[in-house]
Amino acid sequence: MTRTRFAPRRVAALLIAAAASLPLLACARAAVAADAEAQRQKAQTCIACHGPQGNSTNPAIPSLAGQPKQFITTQLVMFREGRRKDAQMSPLAAKLGNADIDDFGTYFSAQKPAPPAHRTAPDKIAASQRLAEQNHCVSCHGPELKGQQHIPRLAGQQSAYLRAQLRGFKASTRFDMDGQMTSAAQALSDADIELLADYLSGLP
Amino acid sequence: MKEPAPALAPPGAQTAPAAPPPSWQQGRSAEQAKSPLHPIAPILTGRPASELAHDKLKVPPGFKVEVWVDGLPEARSMALGDKGTVFVGNRNLSDVYAVIDKGGKREIKKILKGLASPNGVLFNKGTLFVAEKNRIVRYDGIEDRLDNPPEPKVIIDGLPEQPGHFWKVMTLGPDGKIYFNVGAPGNIVMPSYIQAAILRVDPKTGKMEDYAQGVRQSVGMAFNPKTKQLWFTSNNRDWLGEDGPSDILQVVKRKGEHFGYPYCHQGDTPDPEFGKYRSCSEFTPPTLKLGAHIAPLGMRFYTGKMFPAEYHNTMFIAQHGSWNKTVKQGYNVINVSVDASGKPKSKVFLEGFLTDPKADPPMWGRPVDVLVMRDGALLVSDDYNGIIYRVSYKK
Repeated sequence: MTRTRFAPRRVAALLIAAAASLPLLACARAAVAADAEAQRQKAQTCIACHGPQGNSTNPAIPSLAGQPKQFITTQLVMFREGRRKDAQMSPLAAKLGNADIDDFGTYFSAQKPAPPAHRTAPDKIAASQRLAEQNHCVSCHGPELKGQQHIPRLAGQQSAYLRAQLRGFKASTRFDMDGQMTSAAQALSDADIELLADYLSGLP
Repeated sequence: MKEPAPALAPPGAQTAPAAPPPSWQQGRSAEQAKSPLHPIAPILTGRPASELAHDKLKVPPGFKVEVWVDGLPEARSMALGDKGTVFVGNRNLSDVYAVIDKGGKREIKKILKGLASPNGVLFNKGTLFVAEKNRIVRYDGIEDRLDNPPEPKVIIDGLPEQPGHFWKVMTLGPDGKIYFNVGAPGNIVMPSYIQAAILRVDPKTGKMEDYAQGVRQSVGMAFNPKTKQLWFTSNNRDWLGEDGPSDILQVVKRKGEHFGYPYCHQGDTPDPEFGKYRSCSEFTPPTLKLGAHIAPLGMRFYTGKMFPAEYHNTMFIAQHGSWNKTVKQGYNVINVSVDASGKPKSKVFLEGFLTDPKADPPMWGRPVDVLVMRDGALLVSDDYNGIIYRVSYKK
């Protein structure tokens, strides 16, 4: 039996087809780049508080860089719908359409989280790790606490922000979609919350 | 005064016992502690149908599937009003939506706000019933005042505010009573008498009765229009393995019947923890095993005239699809018919949401409920994308 070979005419046809598709590909790439640029510009409003590329430098304001897209969009929906409330965020989110929210999610989830500025004191690491384990943090937030789906990345998050959220969950005042965090935070003492916030914000 | 921590506790040791793990993880074995499996969360903004591969959805020859409406956040249970309004509930939000068909163009209206997980919706004689986490309420004459709905009247309040399976569905019985579920408060736990059950309430008097026991979580039920018996789907326990136990379809033959949870699953599998207390032979076995972790949710008998005769009075069941399984399955709408001897037979009716059984997520959409429209078309809701599809038939 003869080996199958590409007939020269077939090869030529393939080459022509490939060449013809090049401008199309370039077009598609340009469209994606234009979308990304539009998203980046839109996100400038957020960056005023959440920091460059969503890497916050204010301990009380959360970083958004590298958060799962679904976490960002879920929280913005909840701010818009008035279920999660915040003096700054609520009025901003009230005006957002689903497409805006989707754009913010796409942009910030694609940004690289900056290495944490916070350093956890070495003598507290072991106890904090134990706390995180006992309280099942990795169950939902992922093995490296980098978040998944609608659940936030904790690694490298701002410490004052984390502390405020944990205290809010403990006091049942922080919005909680399914009650998991409110329930988990009940067992934490103020000292536990300090340790966790200090530990998580130092994680890469 | 607060007690000081014991002097010998290592620094940083927690003083209070940690809360239990999240309810979806409850019942996991030690070997499964590092399992990456997790439930799949919906995209609450929804996704425009134009971005999705809905042209890849498949239905049998002669049928057609199209997008009926998109942009309806977390579209789950559906109910049809007398004047054609489709009411839609959800689990993670707090609103009920209405879809009004205006000559082929559909308008979405948020009609009710501030409810607690309004997953269940039911319409009867001008009244919309909504099942929240902890109560069932009614809105009379709502279809004439969608922009200015009446205040709700409470039928039942005080249902358990439980972790796990707090969302409810309802169906109307031939007796005029509302049948609804109270799920198990976790994956595998000993329920209280009101939990893991189907109950019924007379909306006129508010009197409530137990109807069926040992039902872990039913998110779909419907009365057979001919036999007047209640059929329901139920989701069986997780973390017992890749291929079992199977989720089930059941028919209730008598009030008070027990279907096995938490003692026995799928009629023949004693629970490793609770199985020792009872015997499988005490419980009604499944009418049909639907598949492991496949999550059968909304179901309806086909009462329309549009589809071919073989579909008349058969059941359509939406499968939300599996998460507690490494090779995923489901995410289809199936059709179940029962032959003259009473034997049920299942076949896939609508498919194409599943893209890669081993990927995370494995699918691009998840069916939740089905609804037979007046013209005989079948609506299918998808909470992952906030879309409702319409399946129609033409000879």
